[in-house]
Amino acid sequence: MTTTIAEREVALVDLVDRLLGGGVVIAGDITLAVADVDLVYVQLRALISSVATAQEKGLMPRMGGSV
Amino acid sequence: MIQLYAITDNPGPPLPDVAPLKTVPIDGLAAVCAPAGETEASPEMLWRHEEVVEALMADRDLLPARYGTRLEDEAALARAVEDRRDELAAALDRVRGAVELSVRVAAAGAPPSPAVPPQASSGAEYLRVRAHAEASHERTANAVHEPLAALSRASVVGRPRPPELFRAAYLVEREAVEPFTAEVARLQDAGAGLSFLCTGPWPPYSFAER
Amino acid sequence: MRDKLLHAPPDFGPFAGDLPRIDDALGRRVNADPESLERGLAQLVLTIVELLRQLMERQALRRIDAGGLSDDQEERLGRTFMELDRRMAELREEFGLTEEDLNLDLGPLGRLL
Repeated sequence: MTTTIAEREVALVDLVDRLLGGGVVIAGDITLAVADVDLVYVQLRALISSVATAQEKGLMPRMGGSV
Repeated sequence: MIQLYAITDNPGPPLPDVAPLKTVPIDGLAAVCAPAGETEASPEMLWRHEEVVEALMADRDLLPARYGTRLEDEAALARAVEDRRDELAAALDRVRGAVELSVRVAAAGAPPSPAVPPQASSGAEYLRVRAHAEASHERTANAVHEPLAALSRASVVGRPRPPELFRAAYLVEREAVEPFTAEVARLQDAGAGLSFLCTGPWPPYSFAER
Repeated sequence: MRDKLLHAPPDFGPFAGDLPRIDDALGRRVNADPESLERGLAQLVLTIVELLRQLMERQALRRIDAGGLSDDQEERLGRTFMELDRRMAELREEFGLTEEDLNLDLGPLGRLL
């Protein structure tokens, strides 16, 4: 099936977003320091995710106060 | 060095012939890998990688790996998967029998976004533009997301990149891809001045880490 | 393999401008040393900063919507966020990070970017 340049391009955009931004992240056997950073990043992500959920459910105050 | 393609069930069907693939078993899971070349991020290499993952997906459920996941050897891979074994098994169960579809929506006739967005000329204008973008996103999402989510097992709403008004990834049963696509066509024809772009089926990249 | 289009819009116009960005993002990935500790730390720090920036911006928009800020206050707020946005882009550039690299998953709220 022949595809136009535009069609290939938009499919590429969706492909790149997925391959580089999604997928399972397995910490490789890089240097220990970098692996630690990855670990902290994943934990932080989990923390922020649970904060967002708590806010949504009204269990935590949202950011507010005077500007 | 080896590169990781996907996490699948173990045991599973024989590997396809598309690359020098090898499975590394870790309890009920298997990591599918191959010798790593240069991790080049060119469109050709990305498509080639994708072809391998989709060949695997043709006859099994899987969690696709982030592109460029490299490890020293199979022992290192086994250790890394073992570390997250339970999470990965749960994630694989969540995506079993389903594929990912991408939906992006823009205002019909909108010009493509310039490479460098124009700088606002004042603080007030900056906020006006941002507020308008947020409102458009919400309006579009309200019109579009619910009917599509109703046909999906799960969804992830993304942050639209101008001039997009809405973008999301949907986890859809393999058999539901056609009705989903039909619904996108119906929303397009509903004539709300929106342009719909739907691509897929993709391996469940956006649902592998949730 | 390239026929991934399930539904194409009548015109690709709005979706057509992404290729230069993709080329740029791919190029930076190849050039930036993916295993650099500095880059990993920058990614971590900038993700937090970006999260806060977006939360503050949204909060400010809600506040403006609710009324009660003078034109002058709005202008100063807007300029601050504009400057923050610009500065973040510079920092990302410096470390060879794309917006996608800072794309935090906020669970039910979807992704950050």
